[in-house]
Amino acid sequence: MKRVIAPAVSILAVALLATGCSSTAPSTSAKPVSAGTLVYATGDAEPTCLDPHVGGNYPQALVATQYLESLVSKNSAGDIIPWLATKWTEASDGLSWDFTLKKNVKFTDGTPLTAEAVVANVAHLQDPATGSSTGYLALQKVSAVTAVSADVARITLSTPDSALLDSLSQPWLAIESPTALKRSKAVNCESPVGTGPFIVTKWTHQQSITLTRNDHYNSPPADAAHTGPAYLKAIDWRFLPDSASRYAALQAGTVDVIDNVQPDTLAAAKKSGGLVAIDAPRPGASNRIELNSSIAPFTDARVREAFIRSADVNDAISSLFFGTAKRSYSALSSVEKAGISEPPLFGYDQNAAAKLLDAAGWSTKNGAGYRTKDGAVLELRFPVSTNQSIPAEQSLFEQLQATTKQAGFKVDLQPMDLSSWYGALGKNQYNLVSAPYTKVGPDVLRILFDSAGTKPAPSGYFANHSQVKNPALDALLEKAAESSNAAERLSLYKQAQEIVLKGFYILPLYDQQNHYLSRDLVKGLRAMPTVSTPTMYDTWLSR
Amino acid sequence: MRHLLLWIGCAVLLFLLVAAVAPGVLAPGDPLAIHPAQSFRAPSFAHLFGTDESGRDIYTRIIHGAGASLLIGVSATAVGVGLALVFGLLAGLGPRWLDFGTTRFLEVLFAFPGLLLALLFIVVYGPGVVTSTIAVGLATAPGYARIIRSRVLVVRRAPYLESATVLGRGWWFRLRRHLLPNVAGSLFVLVTLGIGQSIVWASSLSYLGLGSVPPAAEWGAMLSAGRTYLTSFWWMTFFPGLFIVISAVATTLVGRGLQQRTRQS
Amino acid sequence: MALPLAAIPSSGVRRGWLPWALLRLGGVIFVLWAVATITFFAIRLIPGDPAEAILGGPGSQASAAALAQARAEYGLDLPLPLQYLHYLGRLATGDLGTSYSLKQPVITVIGATLGGTLLLALLSLLVASAIALALAAWSARGGRVASGVSWALEVVAAAVPHFWLAISLILLFSSTVGWLPPVSVPGPAGLVLPVLTLALPLSGFLAQVMRESILDATASPFVLAARARGESANGVFWRHALRHAAIPAIGLVGWAFGSLISGAVVVETIFARPGIGRSLLSAVQQRDVPLVLGVVLVVALGYMLVTTLTDLGDRLVDPRLRTP
Repeated sequence: MKRVIAPAVSILAVALLATGCSSTAPSTSAKPVSAGTLVYATGDAEPTCLDPHVGGNYPQALVATQYLESLVSKNSAGDIIPWLATKWTEASDGLSWDFTLKKNVKFTDGTPLTAEAVVANVAHLQDPATGSSTGYLALQKVSAVTAVSADVARITLSTPDSALLDSLSQPWLAIESPTALKRSKAVNCESPVGTGPFIVTKWTHQQSITLTRNDHYNSPPADAAHTGPAYLKAIDWRFLPDSASRYAALQAGTVDVIDNVQPDTLAAAKKSGGLVAIDAPRPGASNRIELNSSIAPFTDARVREAFIRSADVNDAISSLFFGTAKRSYSALSSVEKAGISEPPLFGYDQNAAAKLLDAAGWSTKNGAGYRTKDGAVLELRFPVSTNQSIPAEQSLFEQLQATTKQAGFKVDLQPMDLSSWYGALGKNQYNLVSAPYTKVGPDVLRILFDSAGTKPAPSGYFANHSQVKNPALDALLEKAAESSNAAERLSLYKQAQEIVLKGFYILPLYDQQNHYLSRDLVKGLRAMPTVSTPTMYDTWLSR
Repeated sequence: MRHLLLWIGCAVLLFLLVAAVAPGVLAPGDPLAIHPAQSFRAPSFAHLFGTDESGRDIYTRIIHGAGASLLIGVSATAVGVGLALVFGLLAGLGPRWLDFGTTRFLEVLFAFPGLLLALLFIVVYGPGVVTSTIAVGLATAPGYARIIRSRVLVVRRAPYLESATVLGRGWWFRLRRHLLPNVAGSLFVLVTLGIGQSIVWASSLSYLGLGSVPPAAEWGAMLSAGRTYLTSFWWMTFFPGLFIVISAVATTLVGRGLQQRTRQS
Repeated sequence: MALPLAAIPSSGVRRGWLPWALLRLGGVIFVLWAVATITFFAIRLIPGDPAEAILGGPGSQASAAALAQARAEYGLDLPLPLQYLHYLGRLATGDLGTSYSLKQPVITVIGATLGGTLLLALLSLLVASAIALALAAWSARGGRVASGVSWALEVVAAAVPHFWLAISLILLFSSTVGWLPPVSVPGPAGLVLPVLTLALPLSGFLAQVMRESILDATASPFVLAARARGESANGVFWRHALRHAAIPAIGLVGWAFGSLISGAVVVETIFARPGIGRSLLSAVQQRDVPLVLGVVLVVALGYMLVTTLTDLGDRLVDPRLRTP
């Protein structure tokens, strides 16, 4: 039974969770008020640089969405829509794209938005001195950018890239003022200049970023609810790393919106009332456990399948996530149209697991109940990044450790900080690992499963953690990346996913969790359909 | 009053000791057994201290964790006092230049905030029970060393030791027969007080995510796991925290009580 | 982290003012050099490439060219002894370098956060002293029950971990009764819970020490003499016993400073207050060598200043330590 996941009816399902909320719901005077300061408390790490070209991680994307804009965006149906570019055309050979820019747009330092600005931004991303990683990777096929006229930029590619529009929609490839980019890196990191609805005015390290309204704003994406400047006068963007204090601050009314809401908190918010939840799963890959097929015992597909069969994921999710996370049976996030789901492959079945292990030669058990083969114990090393896996997820791994033990697996959970975690991966000292990967579009499959992704970059980083090396899969992914025919791409990606899922390289868990909670006086808050960062452009306060 | 408190302290310590040595007597269940269907249960007769996120019984986990937690406290103190004994004796007994050097070195260690020494050590050697134990020991060593040194200096000037020197006894004899027994009294009090403090500090490291590794039933690790559920399920943090406080108070009561007694005698 | 018993005030050796000052200055310079050296080499033992830390941490997918560029920019391509000498040279001119993660001069980063921590530490010290004094006075004069109760309070206060106290206070005062903000906000209200969190355990330690010395003092000859002269019990207590109690407590200030900085790491994280404690934690986690070194040096300097001041205070207050 294979089926293409129907595009989520609304990935921004804004649920009025509180029962108490329903009575106060749509008030009659729903006319936006143009005033007030919204206090946003983020649980993500404080960025070290506010320019998402530098490095390029999610904390940067979160805040940059308020002051930087990209050439294109996505609507909630998943289609690419105009933003700074009003239209775009692909050459028939797929090797160049022309982007026509919106007219009369100015960066907040007064510099006009021109094709030269696009040229300068791509150059900035591709300059090693910038230290870009996410943007740099996304532009690997871009060989040149030229200004055809004042408002038409031409991007030339070395090979056709069907993922180009998806890539350009991401905040890590936002367009910044070329004048501002000429400043030193330190200055640009403190106060990047874009065309967005807000302007970075002050960054008090470890505390907050003050964003004030751009009164000359005129370039909202095509799916925005209004035009002209934003309603909010300012945003106070606070850093509150402790999740308990963050929720307490929201309840006390000290802050208006929080992110990184933990599952138990969402459940509590449902009961307390007066709070509105937004569930915005991130695009790209689903959260999954990757099984390292390059070293024993997972070189044997039967052992991989046995592990997956003996892991009781569903019970764990229902006990830990309070109904806030839905089980995934796909390699891709549910927001990706190209994703396929295969529930029968991942059914919990201890008997099947036992039979598979017997067949694979792990037929004896030691005193502790772990399976052995030729004296070796069926032991699996599982380094867990405490920075990347939320506490509920770490507990989930503990529960899987307990259920797979019944089949005779000895799972060693090794919680560690990010540096040591990358170290363990780089040394190939892991059998299981869970790493999130956020990217717009199904091209994320190429990053995660192409055999090229098993080779570590100079920094030791590699993305193909299950270490799949399958020439047929590589060919499918490459063909999909170069195809400009939508139907053909869909079919190619479907075949590729079948190879991955049926090879038992991954154990899908759920979509990458991304929950926001706001007080009910906050109106018009939504998450961008691109990488699910919140946008405050349409937001207003009914105080 | 004092006697009563001393006895209360002893009783609590005895209870913890039984839990550490034979946890099965006080809590027959399996501390690691998961029951996802019974997760996040509030304290009740079935689960005295409630259950955690995987449906494990918190009372059982606390009792089974006593061994690990006390061991961390005891070993960290042992590391700290052991190092301090070396430094303190070197400074107190050695020639002037050695005393000068050791004292300066201790001064340097004092200028580091204790948590920083521990943090640096953990970042270099990776988080875990062993490293956090050594880290706490390292961080407490300078304090002990100072006390031992001053104590040694006092004893060294004592008449009985000078007479032993005059009698031509070797330094090893003097150390064994006169110095150590005299330092040992105050040391014993220090150690009792120190164990409680070490447990508190080790739990702080666990809270920062640098201590024991889950799902181990160790108090610090339980606290660290429970902290995200604080607003919804207070019992996950409250009870392990309570036991840390209780054991620290008990060791302090016993330590102070002994101090009082040695003073009176 | 050390016990308060560990704090032993000045050496007690009589010296003139000039030798005293020179010795102190030499001590400060020596300690700063040693602290810088130990930290510099200890931090190099941390696994991981510093160049990667500069480029946004591990997994930054930095290219080889970018890594090489970063190494050259921060002088990491030099041999370690040479890096150390360069570092000392810059330190001598007061240059603490540039933070890897924040790309700003370390001095700017510390300057922006030091004030918050100092305010927090100072207020906590004041509050803790006030509580300790009240407890000590009550137990010294309130009879056996008061003595027992305050003794128990002291012991419990000293046994409570900072983070546990912090979250209990948040649950009690913010989530339940809603009197105070759960996270740091500008203004005095935001300071109440962080200060209480740091002050309560400290007051337990201080009270224990103060009570002992008050008891000693009440039994001492000069107090008996004062009573014999006809001074009232109250007068003797406030004029003599209390003053006597202050001397060991002043000796504890240096220790308290270190303990408050350690506590600040936890408290600033929980209450989301900007401060050097939090800078330190994130700098260590991000392998930000210059920032760790900078914070450690500033804290060491602060510790040395505090101990010098308390030593100075001792010399002024205690006639036995005065030069003839």
